[in-house]
Amino acid sequence: MQQAILDAVRRGMIPAHIYNDPHVFEQEKSGIFSKAWLFVGHQSEIPQPGDYVVRRVLDDSFIVVRDEQGEIRAHFNMCLHRGMQVCRAEMGNASHFRCPYHGWSYRNDGRIVGLPFHKEAYGGEAGFSRKGARLLPAPNLATYNGLIFISMDPSAPPLLEYLGEFAFYLDYYTKQSPSGIELRGPQRWRINANWKIGAENFAGDMYHTPQTHTSVVEIGLFREPKAEKRKDGNTYWAGRGGGTTYKLPDGTFAERLRYVGYPDEMIERMSQTWSDDQRRVIGDDGFMISAASAFPNLSLVHNWPKVEDGDDVLPFISIRTWQPISENETEVLSWFAVDAEAPDRFKELSYKAYLMCFGSTGMFEQDDVENWVSLTTTAKGSMAKRLLLNSRMGMLKDNSPVVPPLTPEEFAGPGVAHVGYGEYNQRHLLNLWADYLESGPPQVDTPLSIGTGDGVPGARTQS
Amino acid sequence: MTLIGRDESAKSALGRHATAAVKVGLPLKVGSSVYNDIQHWLIEEAYTLDEQRYEEWLTTVADDIHYLMPVRVTTALGAGFTTSPGMAHWDENKYSLSRRVARFLTEHAWTEDPPSRLRHFVTNVRVYESDVPGEIVADSAVLLFRSRGDANHPSIVSAQREDVLRLTATGYQLARRVIMVDESVLRTQNLAIFL
Repeated sequence: MQQAILDAVRRGMIPAHIYNDPHVFEQEKSGIFSKAWLFVGHQSEIPQPGDYVVRRVLDDSFIVVRDEQGEIRAHFNMCLHRGMQVCRAEMGNASHFRCPYHGWSYRNDGRIVGLPFHKEAYGGEAGFSRKGARLLPAPNLATYNGLIFISMDPSAPPLLEYLGEFAFYLDYYTKQSPSGIELRGPQRWRINANWKIGAENFAGDMYHTPQTHTSVVEIGLFREPKAEKRKDGNTYWAGRGGGTTYKLPDGTFAERLRYVGYPDEMIERMSQTWSDDQRRVIGDDGFMISAASAFPNLSLVHNWPKVEDGDDVLPFISIRTWQPISENETEVLSWFAVDAEAPDRFKELSYKAYLMCFGSTGMFEQDDVENWVSLTTTAKGSMAKRLLLNSRMGMLKDNSPVVPPLTPEEFAGPGVAHVGYGEYNQRHLLNLWADYLESGPPQVDTPLSIGTGDGVPGARTQS
Repeated sequence: MTLIGRDESAKSALGRHATAAVKVGLPLKVGSSVYNDIQHWLIEEAYTLDEQRYEEWLTTVADDIHYLMPVRVTTALGAGFTTSPGMAHWDENKYSLSRRVARFLTEHAWTEDPPSRLRHFVTNVRVYESDVPGEIVADSAVLLFRSRGDANHPSIVSAQREDVLRLTATGYQLARRVIMVDESVLRTQNLAIFL
């Protein structure tokens, strides 16, 4: 990576071409997506032994499966013999995966179980050691609140260390009760936009809300994004992620959660599940989480639209990844998430709220993507290489902040938070981007020799 | 798998209010009076949607509409399902459809400004009597061609539809539509259109 690009990004000046540049994308693949922890799914998608979903990390296909012992594993979806995909479905339940090419088969924990004509063809174990042979595991796998992450770096730091204090905020989305969330979907669709744009937008772009999303206020879907309200919220950055909040009207913890549409029984469980500081952010400080991103490409959103005629609003949560296909194409995987203990009626209406606002048909999302596609298209040409986009909002020319960060008395959440419009979080995200690119690709294990008896692959599973 | 609109609609918690009409008997003969009426309705609707005359379109949609497009998933032969459990692209009633239409009528629905050039190709129409008096079930194939900007790749959405059309004093109204899209990963930037 050219040092000039990294230097510019660290000054808050973004070389426009990084949103559509094949050379930059190549380095993102090796420097970021081969190292960072990447979200691939949630335990609730595979509740029973044998349940699996197939998810990708760049060009690598993984079978994310719950084995017969209940352990969650991610197997590289490639037969050890000739490299066929052993699973060509996207989801399902299987005790075994059998390769259609020559019939090698594997238990759902990855171990090889069937190798036709093992004795005749290989001379049995003397020629090919079945013992210990298994589908290649993802180099690293770990979960937090049931969220399943993979890292392609065998020496990745522990997931919790990686997420850092952002985990505090993840709990608002993914642990509203001891049972946590259940995930539905994902909707999947491809957009002609660079993957970074969505991540930046969700991380901290409160400034776009009153403009991009004017229409959803006009039709009565959402009462909050009006400019004067949006700038009263804060953006926070903590660990490997950050997000945006809305400032809610005066009230207690329970009143404010009621204001965004939670029924009392859910509020009661949140009250018991969350820490003092997590409760204080809402109850004392008056901030309600909205959109957020964790580096590199996981985003979350929590909003509370009106889903029926009347004045009632209903909150929903979406989790999504911006899966890079190329420098100018992204596959969006967008899930609906809801607390597993929520009442059925709440789950129904929350799902409806999600569909009306986000995802492939969402009325917020439609206008976002239009902007991102346009930006990506324009970033391709030679003029974009002559332009450094100003991403310094919230900072004076001498780098001092326009407004001071919130004190611990004003905001009980960890990290650094500022009220009002600013591109603090987009800068945090892109600074991490620069750090990862600068440190280069990870050390990768030597390739395994299958069947020779040495180099039995071992899964690194962190708890 | 054969699409049975009633069953797909019933799988969604948001489809409880909808008609449970199912096909009865063989498809009506092409050229029969009812067939012609339904074919006529579908063609008129296609032009209305192409031209984005959505307020007018809403007047042809029943108040108890269930407008559903499940998310398709690739599953093994014999898995018994090809849609993502509990998830759809659209799972709409009249209120949510009316909000979508109202949004297009604001001056701030950027995704359709400038508007897409749309063409709904509707074909393979089969028409059936149903077990509910006054309700007709119609199958059709729809191919949407959507072009935006000057030289962007157009997007194409292919789907099967099963509709329930209810005869009212002012003509047929759409009472239930189940759209089985033929892709699991959509290759269009959003569904700021109707199928």
